[in-house]
Amino acid sequence: MQIKIQNLSYIYNEGTPYEYKALNDVNLEIEEGKITAIIGETGSGKSTLVQHLNALLLPKEGSIHILDRNITSKEKPKNLKSLRGDVGLVFQFPEYQLFEETVIKDVAFGPKNFNISEEEANKRAREALKLVGLKEEIYEKSPLELSGGQKRRVAIAGVLAMNPKLLVLDEPTAGLDPDGTTKMMQLFKDLNTKHNKSIIIVTHDMEQVFKYCDDVVIMAEGTVKKHISTREFFKDSSLCKEMNILPPDIIRVKDMLKEKGFNIDIKENTIEALSEAIIKEVKHG
Amino acid sequence: MGNITLGKYIPMDSPIHKMDPRAKILAMLLILISIFFPVGWIGYSIIFALVSFVIILAKLKFSFIWRSMKPMLFMLFFLLIINSLAIKTGKPLFNIGDFVIYSDAIFNTLYIAVRLLLMIMITTCLTATTKPLEMTLGIEDLLKPFAKIGVPAHEIAMLISIALRFIPDLIEETQRIMKAQESRGVDLKEGKIKEKLMAILSLIVPLFVSAFQRAEDLANAMEARGYVPGEKRTRYKVLKMAFRDYLLLGASFITLVGMIVLSKII
Repeated sequence: MQIKIQNLSYIYNEGTPYEYKALNDVNLEIEEGKITAIIGETGSGKSTLVQHLNALLLPKEGSIHILDRNITSKEKPKNLKSLRGDVGLVFQFPEYQLFEETVIKDVAFGPKNFNISEEEANKRAREALKLVGLKEEIYEKSPLELSGGQKRRVAIAGVLAMNPKLLVLDEPTAGLDPDGTTKMMQLFKDLNTKHNKSIIIVTHDMEQVFKYCDDVVIMAEGTVKKHISTREFFKDSSLCKEMNILPPDIIRVKDMLKEKGFNIDIKENTIEALSEAIIKEVKHG
Repeated sequence: MGNITLGKYIPMDSPIHKMDPRAKILAMLLILISIFFPVGWIGYSIIFALVSFVIILAKLKFSFIWRSMKPMLFMLFFLLIINSLAIKTGKPLFNIGDFVIYSDAIFNTLYIAVRLLLMIMITTCLTATTKPLEMTLGIEDLLKPFAKIGVPAHEIAMLISIALRFIPDLIEETQRIMKAQESRGVDLKEGKIKEKLMAILSLIVPLFVSAFQRAEDLANAMEARGYVPGEKRTRYKVLKMAFRDYLLLGASFITLVGMIVLSKII
């Protein structure tokens, strides 16, 4: 078990008229080596929860056990820095954190903060940039000259270069074009399968959850409503409807066809299986 | 950021809150000027009573004003030390070692403290009861007569209201970037000087970039909606002077005249 969150609560602006309880008694266990999606409406506490994972926010109540460290309401983790190195947190619109003169310097900034030699940091930066699919000719450019999608990649490379064990991404594809989104999600999938990284993604996109994630955590009103495997969650649309979520296209198509009286029964929710089933129905029906 | 009280707007339902900002700004100026006349303890007592009356009318708490005064105490303490060193008139009160402190030093400092307290009370009466937007509208109108000698009244007001509008945004942005950089191992509290400089740099550069970006976006959005600086514009909110506004102005004016007369008598 990599992460175990118990009775976690968090309140913003405590003791002022703007007091707001963002998390209320959250209990959650996340396993190693998986891609876990956190979904939920705006204001359901997703971002607040995620910021607890590297102790940017400390719990008001409850405790977090993460990568063999404990964070509780009473005690700050002793080696905060090493925790931040192990949990790579990528914020929403991370391109706004770029500040160095060149792309490579910016990416190397993270590892250098963890007392890694200049040389090693540069080496890691190159690897990370390669991993996110950026070409060598932009390494010496100013990050401010790049396009939006490229900046996003640089920012993510900046976190990857720290070589975290767990990668936490808050809406990493928000504002990217469809092509960029697919590439980005594929990158996370590769990091998970080839580089053995556990990944947590906060997202609004059910297609991404469906295609890339192993588990799904549904949040509402500051608590975890459900934690379930993706396959189970999208088995049919009943759970989605219960949680007031629009299911992915493939499930909606399947449901619509069933409603019209076609006999579609597939074991795996893939395009191939669905099209096969449709062909079978049309031929024999 | 939450504990700064000086200049904060306090939403309340009071007759003072409903007054015309122009009347309030002018009244504040008149009373502020009257403080600068040497009217002695009698004069200041009268002003204190009048301003206290307004504060009670505005439903403000005196503890709120006290909190605004707190940062000034440090300054007053220094003033007391300097006065004790410099002023050697009046009766000798007591001595610390060989050093004698005279009564005038204490009185002088108290005198300034009272003036400062009054000033804070008066300005708080204005800022705590006037929404920032109303304030800028008031400033714009009051600056209008000076447009003839080249004061860009509307532009100044627009500048102030845009600046006010962006303060909370920039605070939020700063916190966001701080968190992002902390996640990359930046330690804003500890570390060597060189590391600290780097940490500050990693904060300031993105903040500037985003501030410029926001400014450009806003300029484009304003132009797209037909904003031309210097052009005549109508207003959504039209200011109107009511009886109570004239009453406030009249009372402030009488106070000022009264204080001038008082200062001549004393």
